[in-house]
Amino acid sequence: MKTRRRVFQFHAFVVTVILLTGSAYAIPAFSRQYGTSCTTCHIDFPKLNDFGKAFKDAGFKFPKDDETFIKIPPVMLGSPAQKELWPHTVFPGTIPGIPQIGLRFNQFFQYTGSSANKYNAAPQGGLGSLQSPLVPNTDFEPGFFSIFIAGNFGSDIAFWVDDDLSVAGLNANGELGDGYLRFVNLGRFFKLPTDSFTLRVGQFELDLPFTQARSINISPYDIYTQANFGSTNQNVNNVIELADAAHGIELSGGHLYGGYHYSVAFVDQNTSGQTASAPNVPSPTGGQVGAGGVGFFSDTNYKDIYVNVSYRFNLEQDPASRHDIQAAGATGPRDHTYLSLGTFYYEGRSDQRFSGLTSGGAAAVISAREPFYRVGGDFSFNYRTFNLFGLYMYGHDNDLLLNSTFTGFLPGAAATFNGGFLEADYLVLPWVMTIMRWDRVQSTADFLDQAGSGNYFSPAGTTRNRYTPGVQFLIHPNIKASFEYQYRPQQALFYNSNGQPVEPFRTNVATGALEFVY
Amino acid sequence: MKHIFMMMMVAAVIVMMSLAASAGTISGKVAGVSGESVVYVEAPAGKTFPAPTQEPVIDQKGLVFQPHITVVQVGTTVQFLNSDSVAHNVFWPSVGGNKKLTHNLGTWPKGEKRPFKFDNAGAVPLLCNVHPEMSGYVVVSPTPYFAKTDKSGEYKIENVPDGSYTVTAWHEGAKNQTKPVAVAGDTKADFTLSK
Repeated sequence: MKTRRRVFQFHAFVVTVILLTGSAYAIPAFSRQYGTSCTTCHIDFPKLNDFGKAFKDAGFKFPKDDETFIKIPPVMLGSPAQKELWPHTVFPGTIPGIPQIGLRFNQFFQYTGSSANKYNAAPQGGLGSLQSPLVPNTDFEPGFFSIFIAGNFGSDIAFWVDDDLSVAGLNANGELGDGYLRFVNLGRFFKLPTDSFTLRVGQFELDLPFTQARSINISPYDIYTQANFGSTNQNVNNVIELADAAHGIELSGGHLYGGYHYSVAFVDQNTSGQTASAPNVPSPTGGQVGAGGVGFFSDTNYKDIYVNVSYRFNLEQDPASRHDIQAAGATGPRDHTYLSLGTFYYEGRSDQRFSGLTSGGAAAVISAREPFYRVGGDFSFNYRTFNLFGLYMYGHDNDLLLNSTFTGFLPGAAATFNGGFLEADYLVLPWVMTIMRWDRVQSTADFLDQAGSGNYFSPAGTTRNRYTPGVQFLIHPNIKASFEYQYRPQQALFYNSNGQPVEPFRTNVATGALEFVY
Repeated sequence: MKHIFMMMMVAAVIVMMSLAASAGTISGKVAGVSGESVVYVEAPAGKTFPAPTQEPVIDQKGLVFQPHITVVQVGTTVQFLNSDSVAHNVFWPSVGGNKKLTHNLGTWPKGEKRPFKFDNAGAVPLLCNVHPEMSGYVVVSPTPYFAKTDKSGEYKIENVPDGSYTVTAWHEGAKNQTKPVAVAGDTKADFTLSK
């Protein structure tokens, strides 16, 4: 069972890395619609500047007088005067005057340090058994070809869909990223302050303190891709990672460019990573898995809850500048000098179904519902074009072990982990971004599970530190070259009788990426 | 007495006719480029002209400088208006190619204006730090004799005193062309610009 878990964990890690690497989006469709450059909303796309945050808050619209900035008039879906006839007519709306479609392509080149040869040289299995492919020192990798559409239907209803059409050079091998409708500023119906209440429905990245899906980094944050698998004596198999796309609804409010911000999401609970559909119980997409339908995304009768609350203190002395979307500067408006503090909490139950017995001895399915939570805090400090931000998270999964009679469960030791990241971004020139990042994950179970497994990600200790300097160049506002060097955690292939790693090493990698959006 | 008055009237008419005869026009076409160009007369050596009192307005509206090209005489004060609900920043990296004359006007709220007096001749490329796609030009003419072409390139500069001048044609992104023009009544001067 542990071997299967390791294999699954390894593949999950690899798939996660592939899917998250560079899964970042900028929106050239907005450039076309408003006749403006990417840099109106982005610092080193896809990282948003304060105006971009306000644009997003407003439902992909200019925060004020949006219609005066649109260069391509929208198409009316019914005259505005039709509103007076409602409910005896369909409430009119608009769609953008051009299809709000953007496309993106990226590709990678990676150099892997010679430590990889330790894996290449270590045989697995018995004599004569076929070995895994060689880990090359250099590798050209086609990345993603992605499509994304986003915009606003005119009545404060925003939409977003992004999908990877191709991954790693294969056709139709991608997946949906975010796909949702966002009903902006619903609070006006309840006479609440502007932008205090917004509803989002669909599939989306959780409102993480710092986005993973639209990060400028080539490699993902380690803590965001940390699942929680217990060690040998535990029964914890929770595949949920904070960076996973969630399905559900989200209530949110406030502004990302200053003051308070909150979000509360109720999302599918699925800790097994499996979709399911019994033959006679169709999912909304129809049919069972593999027979025309895609099955159910929840694997329990519960929903997870995610809460994120933050407050951003803009630090300009002048009140007008402090409260504006961007701060006034001697040479034009710029991002605020600010300190943002926040906290987040995710709670759910990890559901595992076993073949067991009733107390009367009859065959039955018994379920271990292990409550789990993730909790953390974050901060971000910005001064002009320097941004220092970080996040800490603690993960905790209760453990339920099958009793000896297979009729129920006994509490075991909880599986926990913690970690986070600290990152400094400095925009040296408007087209040159430098990055320094430290990722840290502490998980005893990961170490115990991986020790001696011989796979490519075996840690040499309970703590994994990774240091990742990087630099990025905007060749044009929509074309970017990115480089990063990963000083990776120590790894080991062999352990002594005390469980200590023998001759630990690091498999450091240097990665370059080229991408464009249009 | 009546004779004296008649003689003065005749003299005045003669003077006015002679003046009218010495004020000509320069007209022609700027070819080789498409869209609006500017043609202006360079200042004759030692000749100065009083600055106009009119203050043209350049608006920033819908992330666009309006008008795109404004021609003014040296010494003119231009009012820069912001009609947008977003902040802009007006600056220029040079005047007539002279980077030492770079200037940043800063940022101001919607509905307000900020003046600037242009004391140096040459083309002034207007930019916005916040919206790099925004582009406009102030072409500062050293004399009051200038014109903006229509979209077909035709232009006409009126009331130019007869005489010998140097005339310059300017177009966005093209090399200036300068040629001597002897003005005597209606005078033709065509230009062909290249990028």
